[in-house]
This record gives sequence, C-alpha cells and structure tokens, in this order.
Amino acid sequence: MWIDLAITLAKIVFILAVTVGFFAPILTWVERKQSAIMQDRIGANRADIMGFTALGLFHIMADGLKMFTKEDFIPQGANKVLHTLSPIIALIPALLTFAVVPFGGQYEIWGQKVNLVISDLDVGLLFVFAIASIATYGYVVAGWSSNNNWSLLGSMRTASQMISYEVSMGLTIIGVLMVYGSMKLTDIGAAQESGYWGIFLQPLGFLMFFTASIAENKRIPFDAPEAESELVAGYFTEYSGLKFGMFFMAEFIEMVTIGAIITVLFFGAWHIPFLSTATLISMFDFLGDSFANLIVMLIHVGVFFAKVTFFIFVQMIIRWTLPRFRYDQIMKLGWKILLPLSLANVVVTGIIILALE
Amino acid sequence: MAYYVNRNVKLTWWERTYIPEIIRGMLITSRHFFKNLFGFIPFFLGKKKEREIFTVYYPEETVQFPIAYRGRPVLALNEHNRPNCVACGLCEIACPAYCIDIIPGENSGKQNEVERYPVEFTIDYAVCIFCGFCEEACPEEAIFMSDQYDITMLDRKKMKYNMKQLLVPVEELKDRMDFCRKMYGKWNY
Repeated sequence: MWIDLAITLAKIVFILAVTVGFFAPILTWVERKQSAIMQDRIGANRADIMGFTALGLFHIMADGLKMFTKEDFIPQGANKVLHTLSPIIALIPALLTFAVVPFGGQYEIWGQKVNLVISDLDVGLLFVFAIASIATYGYVVAGWSSNNNWSLLGSMRTASQMISYEVSMGLTIIGVLMVYGSMKLTDIGAAQESGYWGIFLQPLGFLMFFTASIAENKRIPFDAPEAESELVAGYFTEYSGLKFGMFFMAEFIEMVTIGAIITVLFFGAWHIPFLSTATLISMFDFLGDSFANLIVMLIHVGVFFAKVTFFIFVQMIIRWTLPRFRYDQIMKLGWKILLPLSLANVVVTGIIILALE
Repeated sequence: MAYYVNRNVKLTWWERTYIPEIIRGMLITSRHFFKNLFGFIPFFLGKKKEREIFTVYYPEETVQFPIAYRGRPVLALNEHNRPNCVACGLCEIACPAYCIDIIPGENSGKQNEVERYPVEFTIDYAVCIFCGFCEEACPEEAIFMSDQYDITMLDRKKMKYNMKQLLVPVEELKDRMDFCRKMYGKWNY
C-alpha cells in the first residue's frame, strides 16, 4: 500500500515537474526564440549572468523575477474575491487533465506493477472534456470581475468560442471511441501498439480535433478573446504580476495537454512504430527482466514526450504562420464546417465499422 | 482617388479546403526556421559571405554607413597640425539651429601662416540638427559631417564640444572630402 502511494506520488511529482517545471518556462523561451528565428530576427538574448547569455535562456529567470516583484494590482470596483480566484480556476483544470493522460504503458519492475498514468479512469476521455470545460469559468469570471470593458468583451468571446468548439471537439472524438471501443486513455494508447494509429483510422477526425483544440486554447489563429490589436489583452487586461503569470502558464500547459492528448489518441501514444513492447523488452533481455522493463519504460516515456514536443512545435508554427480569424469566421468555422463534418465523420466511421464486421 | 481592394478573389476548390494552403504556409515558415537555425554555421566556417539574419547587435556591432551619411560635424586637422578653419563665420551664419560658436583670432600675417584662425570653436550637439549646411557653406574644407551619431550624455553641458574635442585628422575624412567635392562642386574638379 505504501509502495502504491509512493509510486502515485512519484508520478504526480513527475508530471508537475515536466509541465510546470520544464515545459511552461521553456515554452516562453521557445516561443520568443522560435518566432524570432522564423521571422529572420535574432530574438531575446540580452539577459545575462556574468556575461553569459545562454541563448537567452536567462530570460525565463528574468521573467519569473519580474512577475514575482510586480505589484499585484486589483482595479477599483473589481470583485476582489473572484478577481483573485479566476487565475486559479483557469490554471488548475489545465493541470488536472494530465491526471488521466497516460505517458507510458504498464510495466512490471521488481514484482511491482507500474501503470504510467496517475489515475486510470474508465471515463478518461470524458474526464478530460469535463475538466477542460471548467477552465471556461476561469476566463469568463476573470473578464467579468475586473470591471473593465475590454476584459468583459474578451471573456464573452472566450465563452462563445469555447462553447462552440467544445461541441465539435466532443463529436470528433466519438469517431476515435468507435474505432477503439474504449474511453480509457490507457486502452486507446495500448490499442495503437500494432501500428493502427488514430491518424490512419481517423484522418479527418485528427484535423478537426487539432483545429478545435487550438481554438479551445485560444491561440492564434483563434485568439479573438485576447486579441492584442482589438481588445488590449482581452480577459486578462487587468491582471498583473503572478496572476497574469498564471494565465500565461495555463496557456502553455494547455498546449502541452493538447499535445499529449493528440499523441495518445492519434499518434500511437508511447509506442515506437513497428517496434512493439515485447520486442523492445527482448532487446534488453540480457540485463534481466526488471532492468529491461525499466529501460523500456524510460524509452517509452521519452518517446511520448518527444511526440508531445513535436505537436507543441506544430502549434507554434501554426501560431506564427496564420493571421487571426475574424469573429464571424470563427463562428462559421465552428458551427457550419466543423460540426457537420464531425457528424459526417461519425456516420462514415459507423458505416465502415459495420461493413468490416 | 480611393484605392479599391478586390475582395472577390476567386479561390479554387483546392484552395477553399484551406488545409493544403495552411500546410503550404507552414512549410514557408518552417523553411525559414530551419534555414536560420543552421544558416549561421557556414557563415562561421567562412564558407558564406553574408549572414541570413541581418539584425545587428548594436553596441557590439555597428553598421558601416554610406559616405553620404550625415553624422556629427567635425573639424579637419591638417597636416601642419592646425585646423583648416579660418574663422570666417560662414558656417555660423548658415547654421539654422545656431549651434556653432566661433571666437576668431588673428595672426601677424607672416609667411606660412594663416591670417585668421579660430581661438575657440564650439558646437552644441544638443542643438545641432545634423543638416550639413555648415559643411556646404565652408569654403576651406574645414568642417565635415562624420559618421558618428551616438552622442549621448547625462549632462546637457557636456554636449557642447570645444575645438579640442572636435578636431579630427584630415586623413580620416578623405572619403567624405571627395564626396563633398563631387557633391557641391566647390572647386570645379
């Protein structure tokens, strides 16, 4: 029992370390540097310690220091409780979704079964959607409670956009559920071991899910809620210091979450193509069973996060490639294109499954 | 006359599906990304003359300005270690910002001696507008626009440069001198 608890704690700490401790800060640097290189610029490289700039990596520390020492400003007439609470409501769901995302398979190390997912829920995918939709409250309350017209406009846009895209996002996933016949993310991941990746079985579903999830994350080209050129900064206009940092972090962690879910659903989760777990274990068999399992586990976790990194990279490229959609275009894409297409996807998937039986 | 943008661009069916066009756009940005990511390597190995990224790290690197660039005006110090200036005061009059201040002095008029020379020559760079009129007005090729532009002080009084600070050996101003001769055609060369 104690060992189970220790393993669970270790997994939680690992996920927190990877998302909050590694990805969120690194992505702030990557976004600056990558966009700079993409646009033929040099990018952030001026923060230095004793003359060393380390490619601008110290900007992360400078950012953190700045956020900690800034005044935590609450505007006059704002609802203080909700104004303080909303960044937390926005950040926590982004972290919570990782509870059900498997970042590795199941291994047996020294007689101890290790399942690399914090909580292996039967309704894993539903849990992801349920938690993700809570984040909407954070953004809406943030805009409402700051007593600012820009913020309110931003949060209204957030609400309408997130609700519209959640519908098509949910419907695109139904195709995946039908193919794999399970809502457990670990099952879906394990089913892709033989090379039947979701992208081949549900290519349209992947494109639509990717689009909808970028819209859910409110990133360019769907950044109407926080459009700098229209709404100052949208729902977080009145936020400063660490509260602003939490919104900022929520966005980056959501990027990681999207990458992770897409990897699990469509890109073979932790598997290496054409290399099943059994073959991998037999390759390291000379080290003994437990050591072989351990090494395979590390390889799988590495492969998983490599795939996640790739999808984060793709999201960044999309961000620096496409211009912002107009508001009516966002709604049109969500309701007139994605929704009918996702319904059609469900129907076609059903017909094909029936025909194959 | 208003300029009308044709917004009824006919897209083909292929373009209206968006996805291929988006991928095309992403290929362009990622091509730039990878080109710039590894593009500096041949430059440092000396295989390529030019950098891909043209950003200049300002205080460490500076741009080589074209000769027509008008920086701060300086006085020419000739080979006899005297200023070319004869304190005629033409630049003082030509200056639209009144930033030049000359105190003239006279020599006895012996052989190998200019009759007039500036005892003190002050240019207040806080007032100077870098127009180059002084250079154009000067009949003696004594004042030239250099390529220095970063004159920043915390004290306004220090922006007033006296003659000692203004004098620059004439060899350093050769290019600008040639340019001026061509430009203003003073001596009909």
